[in-house]
Amino acid sequence: MDLRAGDSWGMLACLCTVLWHLPAVPALNRTGDPGPGPSIQKTYDLTRYLEHQLRSLAGTYLNYLGPPFNEPDFNPPRLGAETLPRATVNLEVWRSLNDKLRLTQNYEAYSHLLCYLRGLNRQAATAELRRSLAHFCTSLQGLLGSIAGVMAALGYPLPQPLPGTEPIWSPGPAPSDFLQKMDDFWLLKELQTWLWRSAKDFNRLKKKMQPPAAAVTLHLEAHGF
Amino acid sequence: MPAGRPSPGAQSARRPPPLPLLLLCVLGASRAGSGAHTAVITPQDPTLLIGSSLQATCSVHGDPPGATAEGLYWTLNGRRLPAELSRMLNASTLALVLANLNGSRQQSGDNLVCHARDGSILAGSCLYVGLPPEKPFNISCWSKNMKDLTCRWTPGAHGETFLHTNYSLKYKLRWYGQDNTCEEHHAVGPHSCHIPKDLALFTPYEIWVEATNRLGSARSDVLTLDILDVVTTDPPPDVHVSRVGGLEDQLSVRWVSPPALKDFLFQAKYQIRYRVEDSVDWKVVDDVSNQTSCRLAGLKPGTVYFVQVRCNPFGIYGSKKAGIWSEWSHPTAASTPRSERPGPGGGACEPRGGEPSSGPVRRELKQFLGWLKKHAYCSNLSFRLYDQWRAWMQKSHKTRNQDEGILPSGRRGAARGSAR
Repeated sequence: MDLRAGDSWGMLACLCTVLWHLPAVPALNRTGDPGPGPSIQKTYDLTRYLEHQLRSLAGTYLNYLGPPFNEPDFNPPRLGAETLPRATVNLEVWRSLNDKLRLTQNYEAYSHLLCYLRGLNRQAATAELRRSLAHFCTSLQGLLGSIAGVMAALGYPLPQPLPGTEPIWSPGPAPSDFLQKMDDFWLLKELQTWLWRSAKDFNRLKKKMQPPAAAVTLHLEAHGF
Repeated sequence: MPAGRPSPGAQSARRPPPLPLLLLCVLGASRAGSGAHTAVITPQDPTLLIGSSLQATCSVHGDPPGATAEGLYWTLNGRRLPAELSRMLNASTLALVLANLNGSRQQSGDNLVCHARDGSILAGSCLYVGLPPEKPFNISCWSKNMKDLTCRWTPGAHGETFLHTNYSLKYKLRWYGQDNTCEEHHAVGPHSCHIPKDLALFTPYEIWVEATNRLGSARSDVLTLDILDVVTTDPPPDVHVSRVGGLEDQLSVRWVSPPALKDFLFQAKYQIRYRVEDSVDWKVVDDVSNQTSCRLAGLKPGTVYFVQVRCNPFGIYGSKKAGIWSEWSHPTAASTPRSERPGPGGGACEPRGGEPSSGPVRRELKQFLGWLKKHAYCSNLSFRLYDQWRAWMQKSHKTRNQDEGILPSGRRGAARGSAR
């Protein structure tokens, strides 16, 4: 905020503070649109919350699978998990993603992952574990909705097919229980990686959306407040 | 799982690239040299009885060519098995013998893994070692306001089978053939189920529990019950406890019949319990039948009491059996008036200015109240009771020199406060 001597300073500071907090700040360029800022923040917060929730869910689930799955450096072969959406990507590629692609990749990844999670129908799991899984799926569904909201606010179309229709990559049961356990392990691991990456994605988007407020300040200065 | 940067490029068949950045994933190529496709364990996912033995083999396929079983080893639940348990059957097969197996460590199965010399996983198999279920028993059910049925049972052998055991509560009307299964599990704990609707009255139900796991199944004995015999209801609402004028050793308890069954509770029974504020011992008043008020007597003056009431819908729709007691109502508190004369106990206060003409009546009333304090439980100050007392007075006058504490009918009230 620019410091200006004289009695106009107080009014300028007050106006800037008020306008900063109005959701209509970016709307000085567009009319009526609240802007994606708050929903990007919300999505970011959701990814952090889910990351936290997943930590305890994964811990419990891996204990259920038993050692060695719950050992710290366990790294089994990655087989059926080939169909999982991969979060890891070259840094330069990641940096250069445009907003639409960034959001689309997130949206598609979580659609896939949600589908796999729902199929994680371990008959033998305890009732408590089944409840935790169901709760996490609901939260993940919320994240998907939040991402969809951001995409809509920025005018991007949602990727097809819409969730609810049967995707081509729907998971089938693994040929053996041990292979299924490995698939489960990688699903949880990939989920964790995605949430870690999404936090960075949305943080990046959040920073990109901030400049409009500075533009307002300059605009007011020009009018000699 | 590590919270830091993931590096999935480090597959067993590849050296990780030296880039300290997020790595480009290489699909397909990484699959060839890795994992379970190059070996197979037999048997896959076997189910075994505790104490039995297992013979397993790990067969290495020829990819990469020339792969042998040399240097392979077994782990069970992450722990390496002693070398003497395994031996090479031929160039590409490693065998294992496990004797006297213990129950599975987790219900998802014990993890038996065949490792390559460098520690990477070649194949795995889940072992399910346990016991068949024992007969569940001790089924008990109750119906809330005749609308639903909740049942609980005890699993046989404390339910420890080491395997996932599925319990299914089944029920059918005695003369109408069709078996039904209860769907709402874990209603009130792990071995319980709730049937929320479509229950018939006037015909008995047959209820049983089936327990199934990989090793077998068991069925409990059949319980036959009539919904009307196991009815319970809500605790009485609106319990009010108030003082009885200036009487320092009495409190009046009033409540409302539980609304859900209010039109049917002709013979309902109630129970009241009360305790002093800082005590854990409850006193129970038992024979409160079908009234909605009661007077507690023999209490300590100037003391706070907590009072609760519960209801038993006895004899509903002509059922001959006792119903099931409801939960206790929320505790209601009230205090008895302070004693105006020093010292413990004491009867009703003497008024400052007496009415001279009511002397003998007053004295008689005082004696009556004293009697009430010692002997009455749920007393309504009725003429019947007063007459009873008068009869007793007369009798006790005749046997004045004998023991005074016995009531004519030989009963003792349940709410005596003199012990406190």
